[in-house]
Amino acid sequence: MNAARSTWRDHAWRLIHADAQAPALHMALDEVLTDEVAADRRPPTLRVWEWAGPAVVIGRFQSLRNEVDADGAARHGIEVVRRITGGGAMFIEPGNTITYSIYAPLSMVAGMSFQEAYAHMDAWVIEALHALGIDARYQPLNDITAPAGKIAGAAQARRGGAVLHHVTMAYDIDAAKMMQVLRIGREKLSDKGIASAAKRVDPLRSQTGLPREAVIARMIDTFRHRHGLRADALRAGEIARAEALAAAKFADPAWTGVVP
Amino acid sequence: MHGEYKVPGGKLVVVDLEVRDGRLDAVQVSGDFFLEPEQALDVINAALTGLPATADEDAIAAAVRTALGADVAMVGFSPEAVAVAARRALA
Repeated sequence: MNAARSTWRDHAWRLIHADAQAPALHMALDEVLTDEVAADRRPPTLRVWEWAGPAVVIGRFQSLRNEVDADGAARHGIEVVRRITGGGAMFIEPGNTITYSIYAPLSMVAGMSFQEAYAHMDAWVIEALHALGIDARYQPLNDITAPAGKIAGAAQARRGGAVLHHVTMAYDIDAAKMMQVLRIGREKLSDKGIASAAKRVDPLRSQTGLPREAVIARMIDTFRHRHGLRADALRAGEIARAEALAAAKFADPAWTGVVP
Repeated sequence: MHGEYKVPGGKLVVVDLEVRDGRLDAVQVSGDFFLEPEQALDVINAALTGLPATADEDAIAAAVRTALGADVAMVGFSPEAVAVAARRALA
């Protein structure tokens, strides 16, 4: 046990679950809220995302042209954005994934390896999935898997005095469309949990039998029970900063193509 | 020229590059790895740029390791993984 390490219960967790927002604004909110927690202007926060439109979200260090079929994305009206964390590309359509971010003080992962920090930040999700009847476990470095295949991928970044941990879980993904917009080599197919001819990748839908909203509600209940959680909302200043950052950075092709 | 290497138990490392006058040029390292601080990606690209195209894996890995210093965190990959992907691009 690291003496400088804080526990979940040492913090007054807040929940933000706003209406649907544009992909570039989501990217910006992650940067702004991480910095707000780092500066101690906002309590540690769990944010559940709702998507206003379809998106491909690529990792900070991924090559845009190697990962995204630009023609396919344009044909389907899909916005391509780059996030501030590493990791792999995600294909998002409203309602097909469950995405959340945790903005935590760096003290929560003090002395932990990266591998330990990933599992630590998602221990509540593993419990929630077990309660939903899914035999989920953490697969290092940054995946949540079940016997039937991958369920979710996580990414972390440490910025100043805070750690950003965000996760996208597959609820009900149109795998055929995903293959038209992401360039996924054969090597990576198994990593995405896709059987060779799968039409849908729907572990949360098929393995819980519950609507997406019910799965989210159960997850939030589990977080609240384990760690404490109070409803909150984005502040006007946070929204204004995120909107400015979305326009200046995340909607700018120079950022999306920073690794061409 | 394009090379890829999936680190066993780790992440995918991709190297795109050209060879100009026998040396590496226009080097772009990418992948689904994690790297902090993020600006270290530019340092890795610069470390490869100008190396002789005949440099072996040990020499490439050493160039990356020397350039990065101790305060950089490479998660899911390593200087050696970059070197393997670079040699595959050159093969």
